[in-house]
Amino acid sequence: MSLLQELGAQLRAASDELPTGLVSVAMERLRSATELLNWVRQTSVDPIGVPQLGNATEHAEHAAAALRLAQDAIAAYLAALGLAADAAAPPDRDWKAGLGKEDEQPAPAEQQEHKPPPERLGPWWRERVEKLTGEAPPPAQEGGAQQERSATTAELLRRVAAGVRSGDRARLGRDLHGVNAATGLGLSAVSSPVLQRLAGDLLGHEPGPEDLPRLRTAAGGRVKSLLPGTPPAVLDTLLARICRTPPAKGEPAHPADSAVTASVLTGVLLARLGRDPETLDPSAPEPLRPRGVDA
Amino acid sequence: MASVAEVRAAVDAALQQVTEGQAAIQAAREKLGEAQQSLAAALDGSANDAVGAAHSALSQADQQLEECLGATLMAVEQAQTYTATL
Repeated sequence: MSLLQELGAQLRAASDELPTGLVSVAMERLRSATELLNWVRQTSVDPIGVPQLGNATEHAEHAAAALRLAQDAIAAYLAALGLAADAAAPPDRDWKAGLGKEDEQPAPAEQQEHKPPPERLGPWWRERVEKLTGEAPPPAQEGGAQQERSATTAELLRRVAAGVRSGDRARLGRDLHGVNAATGLGLSAVSSPVLQRLAGDLLGHEPGPEDLPRLRTAAGGRVKSLLPGTPPAVLDTLLARICRTPPAKGEPAHPADSAVTASVLTGVLLARLGRDPETLDPSAPEPLRPRGVDA
Repeated sequence: MASVAEVRAAVDAALQQVTEGQAAIQAAREKLGEAQQSLAAALDGSANDAVGAAHSALSQADQQLEECLGATLMAVEQAQTYTATL
């Protein structure tokens, strides 16, 4: 390897290792928190930190844009050095950044020192899951406690996608009832970049406002059959976000509705693409991007 | 019907998401710092405009992440003040 090639490889590695995935995870977590707080504060004049979270999200978006600028500048420099082959963009893996195993995710400092307080939203979550899926929660165990399977949100998303693929609503209900509210609500954050990517793969291009009817036709019926209790506005809002068009104005959706519907929509889009839920595993090979699959 | 305990728990769930976001930002800043060092070493002596643009974009990214973190801290404080009044 020549000195120049070595320099090129070093620059390419530095560019690939820029933390675009982590910033993407941060943005989705902040958006999810904002959605939850917005729902809590619907009738309160107290902002409960929502405007500050909006500012934080905006700063994270600017940081993501600056990182992309840096990558473009490094690519331009490599091209100027005559290393055009090295300047090709690496495959985009940021959409899977939030889907890693728990031990691969950045651990919040507080959690390393002491456990969070016990979950108190179990009944609230299960009630909502029952309303959405029409599936009652499993009977309580001895002592009255519901059994919750320990699963990360990313694992839950894969399970939901598997339930969608098999078309088994009872299984979907069991999987959603089987986690605590925090894990379930996290589905909003982890599924957002995945939905964007899958919709793009299905359409064969980045989704835009003109794709909204096409995506609604492709996914609406299946989502409704698996989640008969989901309000139509929830799916419309998710599809509008994917297509980067303003959603219809109205009261904020219940955060559990958004989270569950987003996960089922992920499963439906995966099924439309003929992909296995395990392709959501970050260690799985990057799926080939089809061109213009008929939605 | 929602109870105070449920409202408090919902805010706690949101704050958990914020905490995870903060952890991701801190990890991103660490990685960014490493990338800046490695690029500075590799690009030492270059006067190319693209190199200047890359350095400047990375500094801007770090500053935005720092401000992002500051805004989340204020949001957490405000949400905690609210739950204390419940």
